[in-house]
Amino acid sequence: MSPAQTAQHKPGAVSRALATDRLGIPAVLFFVLAGVAPLTVAAGVIPTAYATTGLTGIPAAFVVIAVVLAIFSAGYMAMARSIRNAGAFYAFIAAGLGKVAGVAAALVALLAYSLLQVGLYGAFGPNAAALAGAHLGVHAPWWAFALGAWAVVAVLGLARVEITGRVLGVLLCAELAVIVAQTIGGLARPVGGHLSFATLSPTALGSAGFATFGVLAVVAVLGFVGFEQAPVLAEEVRRPKRTVPAATYTALGLIAVVYAGASWAMAAHAGTSHVVAAAAAQGPGLLFGLSGSGVLSQAAQWLFLSSLFAAALAFHNSVWRYAFSLGRENVLPAALGRTGPSNIPRAASLLQSATGLAVITGYALAGAQPMQALFFDLGTTGGLGIMILLAATSAAVVVFFARDPRGESIWPRLIAPALAAVLLTGIVILAIQHYATLLGVPPASPAAWILPGAYAAVAATGLAWGLILKIRRPHIYAAIGLGAHAITTAPARQPR
Amino acid sequence: MTGQVNGRPVPGLGGTGRIADELYLIAHHELTGRPHLAPRAVGLGLAGALLAELILAGAITVAAGAVVAAAPGQAGDQLTAAVAAQIAGEDIHPVADWLAFLGRTAAGDVAARLERAGYLAPPPRRSWRAARWVPVDPDCAFAPVARLNAALNLSRPGDGQAVALGGLAAACGLGPRLGLYLEPGARTCIDALVPLLGPGLRAVIAQTHTAVDAALLAHRI
Repeated sequence: MSPAQTAQHKPGAVSRALATDRLGIPAVLFFVLAGVAPLTVAAGVIPTAYATTGLTGIPAAFVVIAVVLAIFSAGYMAMARSIRNAGAFYAFIAAGLGKVAGVAAALVALLAYSLLQVGLYGAFGPNAAALAGAHLGVHAPWWAFALGAWAVVAVLGLARVEITGRVLGVLLCAELAVIVAQTIGGLARPVGGHLSFATLSPTALGSAGFATFGVLAVVAVLGFVGFEQAPVLAEEVRRPKRTVPAATYTALGLIAVVYAGASWAMAAHAGTSHVVAAAAAQGPGLLFGLSGSGVLSQAAQWLFLSSLFAAALAFHNSVWRYAFSLGRENVLPAALGRTGPSNIPRAASLLQSATGLAVITGYALAGAQPMQALFFDLGTTGGLGIMILLAATSAAVVVFFARDPRGESIWPRLIAPALAAVLLTGIVILAIQHYATLLGVPPASPAAWILPGAYAAVAATGLAWGLILKIRRPHIYAAIGLGAHAITTAPARQPR
Repeated sequence: MTGQVNGRPVPGLGGTGRIADELYLIAHHELTGRPHLAPRAVGLGLAGALLAELILAGAITVAAGAVVAAAPGQAGDQLTAAVAAQIAGEDIHPVADWLAFLGRTAAGDVAARLERAGYLAPPPRRSWRAARWVPVDPDCAFAPVARLNAALNLSRPGDGQAVALGGLAAACGLGPRLGLYLEPGARTCIDALVPLLGPGLRAVIAQTHTAVDAALLAHRI
């Protein structure tokens, strides 16, 4: 209502007007699923994971991890209602485990999301090169296409263009439709005419020894990354207590069914004992060939590219938001927290673009295999970082509510987060112990300790920086974890 | 100051003396009328400016982070009187809620006020594009930046209205634009003098900054 219409103004009109502007469950669900990029996982992550790890329990891992994440979400959602800046893991960890730990978590998150983003170029490049070579007669190396996608993402990121609303909705629905159609096609044509449920069975998780569950769990968590985004909209939804959890649990359920179904269909179609070899030979084609329909396969391949691109842009925007938030708090250089014309956080966006350029160039010069070494290795390492943050966030929820239960029942404030903390910590330990299996390299390979070790390095840096801020810059320390609310919630800095 | 020619208002280089009018002109291109900010940031900034006008007029106060009607009759013009009446007729809401509520329509409301004062030409009717007011005189549209430059001076820290305008402009994301035209001393002046403003104006500026950044982080700008 415009002030010109004051004559009709009645008490309560402000609340009603604001409520009509706010988001409902479908809008939040779309937002969450769009960040998940289903075809990127179904066609990219799952076949590469089969081929690289040699493990066949991936379908069961999706189901088990969905349950673990649902348990995690009980405490996560409860605490999200009680803190500011609820869109970022480090805000939870700062509020629960202390601001020093919060800085460490912030740097871990920045590294994890950054790896997830740059890894996507490793899938876009070779798949775009293959499609362009086969259908457009354009022949160029993978890195040329990766750099093309990088340039477009960099420009759109600087223009703060986001694929939103209808475009994203149409892409998302098309991706889901393709995955479901291929899944049904694959399940309808199992190898030998007999549909095997072996890969869905919990026993599949330990088929190569129980310890490899950590490896499968990292792959599954990588598929679910994005589910944690709903609290970002906590201040924009109609009924935060209902809308955010409803969207999160629906997304978890939907993702679990779609991914478990797709990975099961791949194993059923190729045969449990042959799916690893088939994945190594066909790559994303393992999904595209399930239905046997050439038209569907073609559509799926082009959609795979658009899914990868949309995911790269979405993760680019997630990374600059993290950097911007930390810049606003002065935890990272303040330049990252400044906006330019049209409220564009130029420095934060450019930082991620520079990272992407450096990584693509480095992999191209090294002659590394992009789908394996860039997409899968960096992507799963990003997934490991998210897993570490999930475990730390669960512990933070327990400590946070131990100080003040805030009227929450014992399940969301203690039992669920404590259980999630134990499970997720165990998974992280198992995953790190078997990181060579995850990467498909010999146990002595440097990559098996350098990639997970990077998190230890940034966490140690974060702890040290957090302590320096605590001692030397208490006004910055006080605002850690508050994000946009840093200036209104933290104690005011005295004017000089 | 607004003058009259043949009974019609014409713009003046002195401006209307209202914070929201000044902020609107700073936030839009002096020739084309295109906004320099995302629409939601413009709305939130202008909502903050309308609240600042009412605080300076004594029509409202801010207590414990909420907007409270004080003397609604003190509002100076049709638009601020309407806002003051809304505030007086409502339950008590936090500053953030009023920013979100007023921000939905503030750009159009302030543009209409500037049109009535002769500074903006009305948007063409039945245009397929979003309505955009165009400045009548580019010099008058750019003048608020020059006035701000002159008013922001650490040796004369008495101009609370200029400091509030500078603070709100920076809060909604116009800092880099002001940086192109303001002398370095004027930028420093905003940072140094905003904390010395009254608690109501300080709260409105801080909440505007928070609302703009929160919208950016929540993918809503």
